Amino acid sequence: MNVLLDGLTLAQGGFPEPMASATLYHYLMTSGMLFVIGLIGFVTRRNLIIMFLCTELMFQAAGIALIAFSRFHLNHTGESFVVFVLTIAAAEAALALALVVLLFRRKESLDAAEWAEMRG
Amino acid sequence: MNTLASSILLFVGSVVGAIGIAMALPRKGVSPQLLGALIAALGLGGIFLALGLRAPGDLPNINFYVFSLIALGSALRVISHPRPVYSALYFILTILASSGLYVLLSAEFMAFALIIVYAGAILITYLFVIMLATESPTADQVEALAEYDRYSREPIVATLTGFILLAALTTMMGVGTSKMAPATIPADAGLLSRLPRKIEKSLVEAKLIDGKTERLARAAAALGEPTNSGPYLIDLAGGTVTVAYGKDYAQRRIISTSNPLWPKDLKISNIEGVGFSLLADHPGGIEVAGVILLMAMLGAVVLARKKVELDEHAKLVAEQHALVDEQSIAALRATPKVGGVIGGLSVDNSGKASGSNGGQLPKSGVQIGGGR
Repeated sequence: MNVLLDGLTLAQGGFPEPMASATLYHYLMTSGMLFVIGLIGFVTRRNLIIMFLCTELMFQAAGIALIAFSRFHLNHTGESFVVFVLTIAAAEAALALALVVLLFRRKESLDAAEWAEMRG
Repeated sequence: MNTLASSILLFVGSVVGAIGIAMALPRKGVSPQLLGALIAALGLGGIFLALGLRAPGDLPNINFYVFSLIALGSALRVISHPRPVYSALYFILTILASSGLYVLLSAEFMAFALIIVYAGAILITYLFVIMLATESPTADQVEALAEYDRYSREPIVATLTGFILLAALTTMMGVGTSKMAPATIPADAGLLSRLPRKIEKSLVEAKLIDGKTERLARAAAALGEPTNSGPYLIDLAGGTVTVAYGKDYAQRRIISTSNPLWPKDLKISNIEGVGFSLLADHPGGIEVAGVILLMAMLGAVVLARKKVELDEHAKLVAEQHALVDEQSIAALRATPKVGGVIGGLSVDNSGKASGSNGGQLPKSGVQIGGGR
């Protein structure tokens, strides 16, 4: 139990202790893998909604990296930047999904390839 | 030697993970999703094993592995599940797991904000749109999936490219993080001295000062001014807090932070730190975020509404139609009744007709406007 709760400092406040750079590497790897999975999904999936879901995965990856750096440097700037990431994600979701609904009304399909002629 | 072995293991893990993800993606022919997921898990496990071998003394908390596994596994299901609704639900699982990672990184406020904003708000929007923008299945093919959900586009090339990116990132992060020394100075002292009320309350609770007759001293009172105003005499970096007491709070005494009664839990909490960082250090960012949210709201309204503008001519035509309808209904009502039961029916019908006409009037106007 002690091992399990080792890093938990819930509601105690403050940063418990400096984090080793190797531990930061672990978190950054998780973030990197999440980003790459989101990227692969964005490129391969053809459903517009899933593509936007994959951008949210990439936002998540960025958020984990920001929080990990914030913990590593023992200041809160990274956390406040995650607030902005959340803001952008919410704005993007609202706009993108409105667009998706609009496109679906026109062609009755969510296939991204349907809109291939829309190249500028 | 150890670094070399772990580097090789790292790249082997990346390659195995790439093969697994490429297998798990939906495509034509057989798509062995479960096998692919297992192979991908093996590869990702190899990557974490390699990281652990590199620095056996600095392993993260064991919960890190649990949350990472859940986050990455459900992320894989997000991109590989053929049904969009399940993808969205697995994305919620990813969110929950990464908020667990946030808690491990002692960012409690962001962890709960993430759950509220993402799992509570954004994902519900996604689910709504998935429900709105999906063809309803016909009776004979309930289980059918759309063609664009069954086959993915270039899974092998995309996975290869993605994992080349991951390998580059891994190498660069390995070189970069090994050069970074862990931060040693706690950032709390500066922020805490800006929260005099919190310090005062905590000191009263610790019975270091008397809440009724003593309070934290302020600089201006030391100059003999009647009002106890000005900056507080808090020097946490130097380890002292000055307390005022007596008549007009004129007398001073100094409490040292090394006092055995000094409250141990007097620290900046996570939410206070985030609040200071947001409002004191990045106020411009908050303004910009507000503008972005407003723009998104307006944009979504503009995009999603139907065309309802009526120009003057169309309005006139619509009004004339309405007038004609009213007249015809009045004429219909004025016609003499034919017989008992039949007459009652006809009156009933005309009443219904007028009601439905009234309901349809704005709609017909919309159609006229939309056609233009």
